[in-house]
Amino acid sequence: MHTEFADFPFLSAILLSCLVGMLVIMVLPAQRTREIKWVSAVFSGLTLILSAYLFLAYDQAQGGLQFVERLPWIPGLGISYHNGADGFSLPMLLLTGIVFFTGVLTMWEMEHRVKEFFALIFLLVAGVFGMFMALDLFFIFVWFDVSLFPMYLLIAVWGSTRKEYAAMKLTLYLLAGSALILPAIVYLVVQSGIGTFDILALMAPGTFSPGEQKFAFLLLYIGFGILAGVWPFHTWSPVGHVAAPTAVSMIHAGVLMKIGAFGVLRVGMFLCPEGWQFWAPLMALLATVGIVYGAFVGLSQKDLKYCIGYSSVSHMGIVGLGLATMTVDGINGAVFQMFAHGVMTALFFSSVGYIYDRTHTKIIAELGGLGRIMPVATTYFIIAALTGIGVPCLASFWAELLVFISSFKVYPVYGILAISGLVVSALFMLRVVQRTCYGPKNEKFAHLPDVPFKLGIPRMILVSVIVLFGLFPSLMLDVIRTATIPFLHRLP
Amino acid sequence: MNWMIFSPEICCLATALVFLFLSMAPVDSRRDYIVAIALTGVAVCASLAGIHAQGELFHGTYRIDLFSQVFKSMLLMGLFLVVVISSGLNGIERRYHPEFYMLLTICTLALMMLVSAVHILTLYVALELSSYSLYILVFLRKGRDQGTSSGMKFFLIGASASATMLFGLALLYGATNAAYFRVLIEVIPGVIHQPEVILGLALALCGFFFKMAVFPFHFWAPDVYEGAAHQVAAYISTASKVAVIAVLLRMAALTGGASTHLVHFLAILAIISMTVGNLTAIAQKDLKRLLAFSSIAHAGYVLVGILCISPQGNTSAIFYALTVLLLKFTCFLVVVQVAFDGENIEIDRLAGLHRRSPIMALALMTALFGLAGIPPTIGFTGKLLIFTAAMEKGYFALVLIAMFNVVISLYYYLLVVRAAYLLEPAEGEGALAPMPGAGILAGTLVAAIVAIGIYPTPILELIRAAAMALG
Repeated sequence: MHTEFADFPFLSAILLSCLVGMLVIMVLPAQRTREIKWVSAVFSGLTLILSAYLFLAYDQAQGGLQFVERLPWIPGLGISYHNGADGFSLPMLLLTGIVFFTGVLTMWEMEHRVKEFFALIFLLVAGVFGMFMALDLFFIFVWFDVSLFPMYLLIAVWGSTRKEYAAMKLTLYLLAGSALILPAIVYLVVQSGIGTFDILALMAPGTFSPGEQKFAFLLLYIGFGILAGVWPFHTWSPVGHVAAPTAVSMIHAGVLMKIGAFGVLRVGMFLCPEGWQFWAPLMALLATVGIVYGAFVGLSQKDLKYCIGYSSVSHMGIVGLGLATMTVDGINGAVFQMFAHGVMTALFFSSVGYIYDRTHTKIIAELGGLGRIMPVATTYFIIAALTGIGVPCLASFWAELLVFISSFKVYPVYGILAISGLVVSALFMLRVVQRTCYGPKNEKFAHLPDVPFKLGIPRMILVSVIVLFGLFPSLMLDVIRTATIPFLHRLP
Repeated sequence: MNWMIFSPEICCLATALVFLFLSMAPVDSRRDYIVAIALTGVAVCASLAGIHAQGELFHGTYRIDLFSQVFKSMLLMGLFLVVVISSGLNGIERRYHPEFYMLLTICTLALMMLVSAVHILTLYVALELSSYSLYILVFLRKGRDQGTSSGMKFFLIGASASATMLFGLALLYGATNAAYFRVLIEVIPGVIHQPEVILGLALALCGFFFKMAVFPFHFWAPDVYEGAAHQVAAYISTASKVAVIAVLLRMAALTGGASTHLVHFLAILAIISMTVGNLTAIAQKDLKRLLAFSSIAHAGYVLVGILCISPQGNTSAIFYALTVLLLKFTCFLVVVQVAFDGENIEIDRLAGLHRRSPIMALALMTALFGLAGIPPTIGFTGKLLIFTAAMEKGYFALVLIAMFNVVISLYYYLLVVRAAYLLEPAEGEGALAPMPGAGILAGTLVAAIVAIGIYPTPILELIRAAAMALG
C-alpha cells in the first residue's frame, strides 16, 4: 500500500470545501441567516468550480483514472483512502456541483432553522461527492450512509405533506438497502482472500468465482437499487420527493438517486461483471416495468410533486435499462441519462418549489393559467417538462435515444415497451403543463409576483446546462466513453 | 512480587477506603464529588501508565497482560465518567452519597479483578463482589418503591444465575480436574465432546449472560435501568458490560473453537437477544427502558464477535466494548442533564432539546446514530469489525440477520432523535442549564465518537495487540 497524490488533491479539496463549509456554518450564530446563506453559496460555488474544472481538465486521450489520491487508512483491515475520477464519476461530480450550488441558491428565501438546514445539506453533499470519487469499498459505504441519514432530519423538520411518515419511510428503506450492501461488501472482501477493500485490487479478473459474483451482485443490485428507485423498491421515492423541501427534493432526486445507480455500476458491475451479465435480463425487466409503471401512475396523480416523483421512477428506469444492455451505447446513454435527469429534475423541483412557495398548493386542479400570472416561472417549468419528454436539443434526448437504440438490439420487447412508456410519460407531462400553465386563470393567485431576477439565477444555470449538453452532447459523451470502452473490454 | 503492576487496583481500593471513612464524617456532597473525581482520575492515570504491564500475582490466579490492562483502563475510564456526571446525584439521598462512591469503586475493583482472573475461584469471587455492590447500588434509589422492587428483581435473578454458574464451574472442574485457565485451555479441547464439559461451559457462561443481559437472562435489565438512579444505570450499562465482554472472551477462548455445539448455542442466543431487544425497544416510552432493550440487542451483536473465537473476532469484541462504553455513556450524560431532578425520563420529555441545549441534542443524536451503526461513528467501525470477523468464519446468515436488526433498531433511535429535534419545547421549558463542564464533556465525546469512527487505526492496533495477548 503506497501513498500517492496528484499535484493538487482536487478531489479532497471538493470534500474539504463541503466539510469546512459545514463547520463554518456550525460556528456562525443561528440568527445570522444572511451570512449563513452567503457562506453556503460561496462554499457550494467552490465545489461547482472545482468539479467543473476537473471535468474540463480530464485528459481524454489518456483516459482511465486521474486525479488519484491514495493514503493508507486502516492498514490492519486493508482500508485506504483512495479517490479517483474517471469517465463515469466526472459527470456525476459535475452534476452534484451544479445541483448543490443551484439548490443552495433556490433556498435563499428560507427563514426556519437556517443554520441547521445548511449544515445538514453540506454533510449530505459531502457524502454524495465522496461516494462518487471513492475507490475503496469502506469509504464508498461510509459516504453512502453519510449522504442518507441527514435526509431524515431534512425532510422531517423542513418538509411538508406527511413529512414525518415520509422521512421515516425513506430512511428505513434506504438503510435496509445498506443492510444488504454491507454484508455483500464484506463478503467480497473476505472471499477475495487478499484482505483489501480497494476496488482496483479486487477488480483483477479471476478474483471471484462466477457463483460468488452472481450472489454478491444480486445483493448489491437490490441494495443500491432501492436508492436508485428500481421498481418494486421505489415506493419511498415519490413520498420522499413530495415531503421534502425544495432544495432537498432537488438534491434527492437530482443526485441522491444517482448514487444508487452509480453504486450498481461502480461496485456491482466493476467487481462482479459475470454476476452483472447473469442478472442483466432481470435488471432490464425491472427497469422496463419501472419505466411503464412510473409513467402510468404519474398519469393519475393530482399532486404536482407526485407527478415529478413518478416521472423520476420512470426516468431512472431508463438508466437501469441502459446499464442492462451491456453495450457501449447503452452504458453511455445510462450515465448521460443520470446527468441529464439530475439537472432536469432539479429544474423541475426548483420551479415547482417557487410556485408552491407563492401559491401554497401543489394540487394540479387548484392551479391553472399560471402562464399568464408568472410567465417566467412557467417557462422554467415547461423547459423541464420538455426535457423530461426528451425533446431534441435538450440534454436527455441524446441519453434516451442511446438507451433505446441499444435496448432495441439487445431486448427488442423491452425496448418497445419502454418507448411506449415514454409516450405515456410525454402525455402526462403535457397534461400537467396544460392544466397548470394554461386554461382559466385562478383569480386567487392573480396578484402573485413572477420570479425576480435574483431567484431566477439558479434556474437559468440549470436551463443553460440542459441546452448546452443538448446542443453539444459530445462534450459529455466523449468523457463517458473514455470509461465505458475500457470497461467493456475487460469483460470475459 | 511486583506490586506496581497491581497499582490500578490499589488506587481503586484506596478510593473505596477513603469513602468508607468519609461516610462516617458529616455529609458534604460537594466534598465527596471533588474527592471522587480526584481519586478516580488518579486511578485512570495509573491504569494508562501501566497499560503495558505484565505479570502474574497470587500464585498464578491473577494474570496481568495487555488484554486485562486495556480492559482495566476502559473500566476506570467508565468509572471516572460516571463519577463526573454525579455532581447532581439527585436520584440518591444525600446521606448515602459517600456510600454510592464507595460501592461504585468497590464494584470497579471487582470488575478489574474479573478481567484479570485466570482461576475459577478468583473469577467467581470477583463476579460476586461486583454483583453484590451493584445490588446495593440499585437499592439506593430515592423514593423507596422503585429502587426496592427493581433491586429485588435484580438480586433474585442474579442469585439464581450465580447458582447456575457455580454448578457449571463445578461440572467443568469435575470433568477436567483443573481450575487454572492455563490448564483448562489445554485440557478442554480434548474433552470438549463430553456432554458434561459442554453443559458445564454453557452453564458457566450463563452467569455472565446474566450480567450482559443476554436472552433469556435479560428480564432484569429494563426494570433495573428504570428503577436505579441514572448514574447507577449508566454504570451498569457501560463499565459492567465492558468487564463481562472480557470474561466471555476468556471463557470462549478456553474451547479453542473446537466445539461447534457451543458456537451454535451462542449464535442462537445472539440472534434471539438482538431480535427480542430491538423489537421490544420499539414499544418503549421511557428512555432508560429503551436504552436497556438496546443494551440487550447490543449484547447480541457482541456475542457474534465472541463466538468467532478467532483473533479478528476477539479484536472486534474488545473494540465493541469501547464502542458501547462511549455511546451508552453519552446517552446517559444527556439523560442526567435533561432529568437533572433524578426522576425517570419519558422520551417526550426530550421535546425541543435542540433549542433548549443544542450541544446535548447533538451529543444524543451522535450517540444514537452510533448505536445504530451509522458511519462515520465508532458504532459503525465496531459493527464492521464484528461482521468482517463473522464473515471470515463463513457465518453469512448471522451477518445478514444482524444487519436487519440494525435497520429495526434505527426506527426507535430515530423516534428519540425525532423528539429531540422535531418537537418544540413544552410550555414553560426554558433553556437547559447543564451542570458545569457537561457541555465540554459532551463535545469531547462527540468528537471522540466521530474521530475514532473515521480514523480508528491507533486504537485498533492497541486492541489487536491486546487480543493477541489473550490467545
